[in-house]
Amino acid sequence: MKTLIIGYGSPIRGDDAIGPLVADHFARCELPPGVSALSRHILTAELVADLAAQERVIFVDAAIDAAPGEVRCQRLTPNGDTLSSMAHFLNPQELLAWCAALYGRVPESFLISAGGASFDYANYQLSPLAQQAFTQMVAQVQQLFIADGDGLNETAF
Amino acid sequence: MSRTISIEPVTRIEGHARISLHLDDDGAVTDARFHLTQFRGFEKFCEGRPYREMPALTARTCGICPVSHLLASNKACDHLLAISIPPTAEKLRRIMNLAQFLQSHALSFFHLSSPDLLFGWDSDPATRNIFGVMRNYPELARDGIRLRQIGQTIIETLGGKKIHPTWVVPGGVNEALTIEKRDALLALLPEALDIARRTYTFFKTLVPKFKDEANHFGTVPTLFLSLVTPQGNLEHYDGLLRIKDAQGRIVEDMVPLEDYERLIGEAVEDFSYMKFPYYKPQGYPQGIYRVGPLARLNNAQACGTPYADVALAEFHMLQESGPITSSFHYHYARLVESIYAIEMMERHLKDPSILDARVRARARSNRNVGIGISEAPRGTLIHHYRIDDDGLINWVNLIIATGHNNLAMNQAILQVAEAYVDGNNLQEGMLNRVEAVIRCFDPCLSCASHAFGQMPLHIELKNAQGTVIDTLIRSSQG
Repeated sequence: MKTLIIGYGSPIRGDDAIGPLVADHFARCELPPGVSALSRHILTAELVADLAAQERVIFVDAAIDAAPGEVRCQRLTPNGDTLSSMAHFLNPQELLAWCAALYGRVPESFLISAGGASFDYANYQLSPLAQQAFTQMVAQVQQLFIADGDGLNETAF
Repeated sequence: MSRTISIEPVTRIEGHARISLHLDDDGAVTDARFHLTQFRGFEKFCEGRPYREMPALTARTCGICPVSHLLASNKACDHLLAISIPPTAEKLRRIMNLAQFLQSHALSFFHLSSPDLLFGWDSDPATRNIFGVMRNYPELARDGIRLRQIGQTIIETLGGKKIHPTWVVPGGVNEALTIEKRDALLALLPEALDIARRTYTFFKTLVPKFKDEANHFGTVPTLFLSLVTPQGNLEHYDGLLRIKDAQGRIVEDMVPLEDYERLIGEAVEDFSYMKFPYYKPQGYPQGIYRVGPLARLNNAQACGTPYADVALAEFHMLQESGPITSSFHYHYARLVESIYAIEMMERHLKDPSILDARVRARARSNRNVGIGISEAPRGTLIHHYRIDDDGLINWVNLIIATGHNNLAMNQAILQVAEAYVDGNNLQEGMLNRVEAVIRCFDPCLSCASHAFGQMPLHIELKNAQGTVIDTLIRSSQG
């Protein structure tokens, strides 16, 4: 299944770097055919075209509404009502809504997130709790693209 | 009694700002102000850092146009080194800058301004947004996405990272272009040119519908400042400074970049954290000037590329004579520049010397003052550093493109408010026009947080005692 892993977050804001770090990890690995990984500071509009070409997209991000180190996996659906207030970045569901509106199709999508313990200035440096979460996130992503989404331990969005 | 209308935040611009409109007893607008409400302070916290860190530090000024800061900062560092960078490195930097123009202008036109241009200022705000554009003009919306994607892909191919590339370094760039990358970039450009040209053609059909707005959106005469080539043509990376007045007379010409302080003074006001640059010889606040796409096209004798030159000629026909004065035509100018950017990138990439391996000159600092000026999508960008003998920064001045337009933006919102706002009967469309004139300038205010789309809008009319006498609310659902 054609799958894109997108890890996003600021590389210089502590645990916010966990998304890009997970994506960078997979970019260095030998991935199954059709699987690729991107790390991004933010989700920008032009990613919509990349999404439209996928069958599955796995977003990886840090979370501020989860306990530090807690890893969640959520299935995402398009939601244009979440229209962000920012001109140059979008949230995953908004991006999916753009994809549906512009290309008439939406890949199966998941968000794997981890609660951050510190978002202070630190270059690609994770807190101990986030480091533990990193390992779990990598396993969750692998489970998704190996098991084709089956057997996930999903939590509510 | 006098009253004030506050529009906060201003939507579909880059950054957080507020507009206040002051009304007299009869509800007529008497004054208007554009407030930048956040403060960042890059100039202070860069002090004490090694000058070689400046490109990476100042690129963080902006998530939209980091390439612009990267280039201006590296040019200031080149100046500190007292070197000329290799010609191929300059061409590669130019390509990256042009790609930045392409993606930035695409965001401004397709995503921020097109809802107003396609649906009209008085249309239902529930549909006057990017989803409305996607539903009703899907081809146009896809074109916007694709142009941004192409611009960003070029930046990423050259720089390795999209948001904050570190490929540009003092003395040049740190990696030569390979044949494979060159060919991959060239392959993107025909599609980009097709999109830019058809968007331009489409927009030309819309312009006549906006005669009234074109007559009231920031038409007060100002000067125009930009870089030009030594031949007086369109320039985005280097060149010399030119100032033209509203009658088309060249007031300053071929001014070396190092002499910018002779032309530009800076003032501050207590109602905004944005500086108020002005043309020094005319004093403050009389020395109003504009920068950006409108100013660049007004100042340029030619673009120097085939399709852009045709478009430039058509741009000049928007008005009977003289420079184009309406700020509404920033949109038009942005599309002309998008065509130019694509044509120029193709020209540079087809130059065999673009593959030259010599792309970096190395030196230590050889002077204590460095000035780097380039054109950012929104206008002339100035980085000015002073360092000590150990190479540590002890003074910084940044004049951001949007800052140059500050006086002109204040003047423009006053003009629009006077023309459209009836303080006794507030309508959303009136206030949307006030916001829309700001969008013409495409200001990038905070370079970090950016307002867009369905930001809630809460407007209150208060009397002199602070009692609310009228309210207009736009919720986050539009």
